[in-house]
Amino acid sequence: MVKEEKEIANRPDNTAFTQQRLPAWQPMLSAGIVIPGFVLIGLAFIGIGVALFVTSRSITVLEIDYTGIEKDSACFKCSNADVKNCVCNLVFSIDSLFEGPVFFYYGLSNYFQNYRKYAASRDDEQLSGDLDAFTAPSDSCSPYDYNSNDKPIVPCGAIANSMFNDTFVLYRVVNGANKLVPLDGKGIAWWTDYNVKFRNPSVTPLKNAFNNTVKPIFWPKPAYQLDASDPANNGFINQDFLVWMRRAALPDFRKLYRRITDGEYAKGLPAGNYSLTIAYNYPVESFDGRKKVVFSNVSWMGGKNEFLGIAYLVVGSLCVLMSIVMLIVYAKFKFPEED
Amino acid sequence: MEGFESGLTWEVRANDRKHHKQMKSFLCFRWGRYADNLVRSYKYSPLTFLPLMLFEQFQRAAYLYFLLMVVMQSVPDISSVPFYITILPLLIVLSVRGLKDLANDMARRRSDSEINSRPCDVLDSQSFNRAQWKDVCVGDVLRIHKDQVIPADLLILCSSEPHSLCYVETADIDGECNLKFRQALSATHNQLTSHPSEETLAAFDGVVLCEEPNNRLYTFRGQMHWRGESLLLDNEHILLRGTVLRNTDFAYGLTIYTGADSKVLRNCGKLRVKRTRMERVFNQVVIGIVLSMLLAALLLAIGAGVFSSWVMSHIGPTSALVINGNPVYTGFLIFWSYIILLSPAMPIALYISFEVIHMVHSLFIGWDMEMYWQQANRPAQARNTSLNEELGQVGYLLSDKTGTLTQNRLLFRQCCIAGEVYGDASSKAEDTEPMDLSWNPFSCGEAPVYQAASPDEEALVGAARELGWVFLSRTRDVIVVSELGVTREYRLLALLDFTSHRRRMSVLVREPEGGLKLYCKGADLVILERLQKDCLHQERTERALELFSQACLRTLCVAVRSVPEASWEQWSKTLDQSATMVTSDRDALLEKLYDQMEIDLQLIGVTAIEDRLQEGVPETIALLQQAGLKVWVLTGDKKETAVNIGYSCKLLDPDTRLLEWQELKQILQSPDPGVTFFKARQTELWAVDKQAAEAKTALVLTGPELAEFDQKPEWGATFMRLAEQCQSVLCCRVTPGQKADIVSLVRKHTRSITMSIGDGANDVNMIKTAHVGVGLAGVEGGQAVQNADFALSQFRFLQRLLLVHGRWSYRRISFFLRYFLFKTCGFALVHIWFGFFNGFSAQSLYETWFIALYSLFYTAVPVMCLAFFEQDVNAESSLKWPELYRSGQRQELSSPLILISSLLYAVYSSLVFFFIPFGVFHNTAYDLQTMAVTVAMAATFTANAEISLVTRYWTRLNVAAVCVSVVLFFICSRITQSTRLFKASPMDYFFLGASERAFIDPLVWLTALLTTWTAVLPSMTTLAINVILNMHDKHKVHSASSQPVELRSRLTRGASLRRSSYALSQGAGAGRLISSGTCIRSTVLTVDEQVTADNNSLTHSSRSTRRTTLMHQITHE
Repeated sequence: MVKEEKEIANRPDNTAFTQQRLPAWQPMLSAGIVIPGFVLIGLAFIGIGVALFVTSRSITVLEIDYTGIEKDSACFKCSNADVKNCVCNLVFSIDSLFEGPVFFYYGLSNYFQNYRKYAASRDDEQLSGDLDAFTAPSDSCSPYDYNSNDKPIVPCGAIANSMFNDTFVLYRVVNGANKLVPLDGKGIAWWTDYNVKFRNPSVTPLKNAFNNTVKPIFWPKPAYQLDASDPANNGFINQDFLVWMRRAALPDFRKLYRRITDGEYAKGLPAGNYSLTIAYNYPVESFDGRKKVVFSNVSWMGGKNEFLGIAYLVVGSLCVLMSIVMLIVYAKFKFPEED
Repeated sequence: MEGFESGLTWEVRANDRKHHKQMKSFLCFRWGRYADNLVRSYKYSPLTFLPLMLFEQFQRAAYLYFLLMVVMQSVPDISSVPFYITILPLLIVLSVRGLKDLANDMARRRSDSEINSRPCDVLDSQSFNRAQWKDVCVGDVLRIHKDQVIPADLLILCSSEPHSLCYVETADIDGECNLKFRQALSATHNQLTSHPSEETLAAFDGVVLCEEPNNRLYTFRGQMHWRGESLLLDNEHILLRGTVLRNTDFAYGLTIYTGADSKVLRNCGKLRVKRTRMERVFNQVVIGIVLSMLLAALLLAIGAGVFSSWVMSHIGPTSALVINGNPVYTGFLIFWSYIILLSPAMPIALYISFEVIHMVHSLFIGWDMEMYWQQANRPAQARNTSLNEELGQVGYLLSDKTGTLTQNRLLFRQCCIAGEVYGDASSKAEDTEPMDLSWNPFSCGEAPVYQAASPDEEALVGAARELGWVFLSRTRDVIVVSELGVTREYRLLALLDFTSHRRRMSVLVREPEGGLKLYCKGADLVILERLQKDCLHQERTERALELFSQACLRTLCVAVRSVPEASWEQWSKTLDQSATMVTSDRDALLEKLYDQMEIDLQLIGVTAIEDRLQEGVPETIALLQQAGLKVWVLTGDKKETAVNIGYSCKLLDPDTRLLEWQELKQILQSPDPGVTFFKARQTELWAVDKQAAEAKTALVLTGPELAEFDQKPEWGATFMRLAEQCQSVLCCRVTPGQKADIVSLVRKHTRSITMSIGDGANDVNMIKTAHVGVGLAGVEGGQAVQNADFALSQFRFLQRLLLVHGRWSYRRISFFLRYFLFKTCGFALVHIWFGFFNGFSAQSLYETWFIALYSLFYTAVPVMCLAFFEQDVNAESSLKWPELYRSGQRQELSSPLILISSLLYAVYSSLVFFFIPFGVFHNTAYDLQTMAVTVAMAATFTANAEISLVTRYWTRLNVAAVCVSVVLFFICSRITQSTRLFKASPMDYFFLGASERAFIDPLVWLTALLTTWTAVLPSMTTLAINVILNMHDKHKVHSASSQPVELRSRLTRGASLRRSSYALSQGAGAGRLISSGTCIRSTVLTVDEQVTADNNSLTHSSRSTRRTTLMHQITHE
């Protein structure tokens, strides 16, 4: 008995796995599946493309460049970097009701917020309210960690330092009089940014936390004074600051500035003339950048995006086209066989 | 004498261990003049393992590259991704490989120690003590028992046999299965045998001077100085390590060469690391990738320099981008950053995956029930686990003969006596009238050694005994035979010995009645031309000969002649005179004398012996040939045997034209070998099918002829060109070294993968030289297996090993490679395109964790499943349609072109990965992290979609793997971007909240979907077009794969068709010894003893099955 056992001791196990006989599904593709498959997928893509395209068309976008490079531009006078505290007025009209809710963006182009060193130039400890990092900012912020007097900069780093600081006030021109359009700046930043990623130090008043620190070099006001109207919207959890700190993907980008949702404007901006007063502070001329303001409403797919719809249409058509080619090839190969 | 002495520098002093033990050792290093008798095939010692292993591993450029990456990633200025992204995989790879190496080395150590601890008797002051092989030292006197494997190269001092003869079986060294005799010097024989006690041997103090250790198996030069005499030594006095002592109770020998110095081990060739061609191609591709990466990084770095100088020229908030004032320095730093960022394109995970896949494929080989040999309880074994895919590309199979194709057992199958064929299905051989089978014992003149010298004769004697003619005994002059119960005594008068030139031998006997008879046996051609005119039955016998040879039997003609007394007397007188002559003259004279005697013969009959093939050999060879393999036979055996086996295993067809050396040499020397070769084949005009005619030529070469290739290296290429057009090549009488040379020749002049298969120590060298070496675990030895990459128990298992496992492995690994290149490059190259839109700043488009997890969790398992389970057709169909194997030989799936095309595909997909999301996110409020998640999602989807397109065999595991991979992407993304992890380490998990928002954004999904579909579109289209085009092909394959009609010519073409293979060995027979009585035992054997002896022989066991097999065979024919 023992001997018998020994004799077959080395015999491999007879299982489906070891014998490589695992039950398996082997799809048998044929022209009858492949060609209609291509057609179907192509049609589906065309369908999505059409839906996207139509949706995108229904979105209204108003985009106004206010860089001021051109001489006839309203902000031409401000484009000179030497002019301080320049304010310019941008007048525009809306022909029909701009359906709401209307989103108000500012846009920058040729601006490399995705530059790696720029992105790395921040101190997360500091931004999460760690007071130790207030007095000793991380090396990663260099050269924006200490000012020339060796005082620590808070918030440190290039990205904070370069925060967009143009401000906008929108008026509706009614019978020659400017009527302020209320802009809603609440909740424009990500929830996680506002609640987790960025924290103010738990010091009241907030100002005291910033003792012995200096504001970033380019900033006109320190962080705890970013929003004079709402004391809660200051420090690192200032919505505009949060929006700025969330880096754009590509050099041409928009950032949400405000939403127009209040009262009479909840349904949108009525037709008429508008005036946008811009505090022109942010210099872009030096890097051939452009600045613009964008008004847009949104759909289920977000903002206007014609590219996606067209891309779907193109790819879908390509599939259909290819299925036709395949059909021809198939016919050519099939019929000689039947002869 | 001076000239002879020169070069004899190897000094061996008998019984003087001190002299030879001047061996020093320190730690693991040893030096000294004389090697010990240890076999060391292991590489590592505990001390050297770590450094040596690391050294070996880092010889792979890829590992060094990754080490460099890790170092660079720890430099903050250039680190574009954290260092732990690379170091983890690297550590895993290193440790897995290291462990595997360690396990392999342990296995080698075990098998070494098994050999090293074999027992042997060593003389140790006055007595023989049982010791182990490893204790044997140069100068020791050993006692070798019967059937013991000889542990070192020995000089025979004396033996238990008369005249100190020894019989050795050298099958493990040269593949010949007849016994060889070796003899001690008469001086030592006389002095030491008289008192065969330990004392005299212990007192033996001879000094041997001989050549330095070398690999020449068949020569030995040396001198022995003993008691003031100087005695010449040659090969006859040496017992080689690895041979087996047979029919000799004891032999005493002086150890001359031990361990690594012994001739067998010198013949083993070096242990070389085998790399597969796929690996080499792949390495080239990797080098290509690295160079492209460097170039891309350089261009991007230049871009970065330009960008930084552009930024520098401006002031304002973005001047924050400038790291330092020097654009060149910025470019320099960025260059390294990009190298780091693009390094995922260099697939390190591939190396580890490769190992794992190879390992699993090897396990599958071991697990295969169909390759399990029940009788020996031995499954197949992949000893080298990194060559699997080469099994699917083999173009040349170089096979040993003895023990590989044949079972090494001969059976008496049929005979034709007086024109009647016996031994077929209709008439039982036993029923035949007492035909004059009595020639049998005589013609087997060498039978007295109770195991015959040649297996042919053993078979004949065995058959004769069964039919009633029992060979009882013989002394020097008398042969006693029991003929159907009647004991008769024949006097042996003369023995006309065999030489390879004569191809026959005869005995001259005086019958009990007083008549003189000459019995002659030999090759049919030689015998037939010596027959009387109008010999009886000649025509019918010739027909029988053809019949036998068609059945692939070894035939032997036997003839008799009554010699008149007068002519005998005169002849014997001349013979006596010749004895006093000088050797060279004597040989010529003897031959003439023999010729005179062997005339006017009367044909008795023909015997037919089957050299038993291993089970399934002809079928396997036929199948492999259908699969496009060239099967060559390399054997140490003689030409006749090899050719015969060639026919019987269907390697050669009956109408195959054999091209021998003379003809081949003319072709090779002719200015245009191709044309001459073609002309030579033109003689085969009868062949209707031109292609068939081309295939039906075979080259037959012998070792000495092959040696001429050494002088004419330019012939190699031509020879291979010719050989490629031949059905087969048979190389006979080749030494182990030459076997390896032939393999090298094939390797050098063709691009095919070569595979060697053998079972003995003589095959070790060729097994090591070939791309893939297969060892047959034979009855004994196991040296071949030790050195082989794959070990099988039966030749026929090659079918499965090559056509099933090899083909699958090749396909799986090819698909795996292509896919792997695609998925890693496609995902890494995105950074090049992104560079143009982020100021060439080496900004990563992915979360760092995604880079690490992508190759680990999101894409690895499905491709591993593919590499484990993929089958295009199942095992049965693979064997049924061997043509499918050819795609591997042509490397259709793994050519550099294919790999390059998958790289281009990867470039395409990387473009898609970047530019479609770019189009979508351009000038929108979406941030970088959302785009990163989108691209990551698209990349993951694409990788999994692509693997789904490649997979044709969906087991549950495949399905699960793909699903789990995709799901894991979502789960892991949520985990690494969760609040908890962010709070633990904000720097490492800074993507907080990105996927949370992205995964519910329809735009992200739509973008990922479009990107995925567009990325796989080329692959999808190729698949679809293949499906459409192959509709047609599939029918063709299926219709073609029905067994083609065999167009075998039954045309008989006269004598050339007959194959009489009578030949003992290339050397002369032992007739001289027999007639001089040297090897005749004085004692007369009893019948019992003889039967017992015969029972041991292999012939007996198979006798019972003989008839049924025979019947089967005849109906088959």
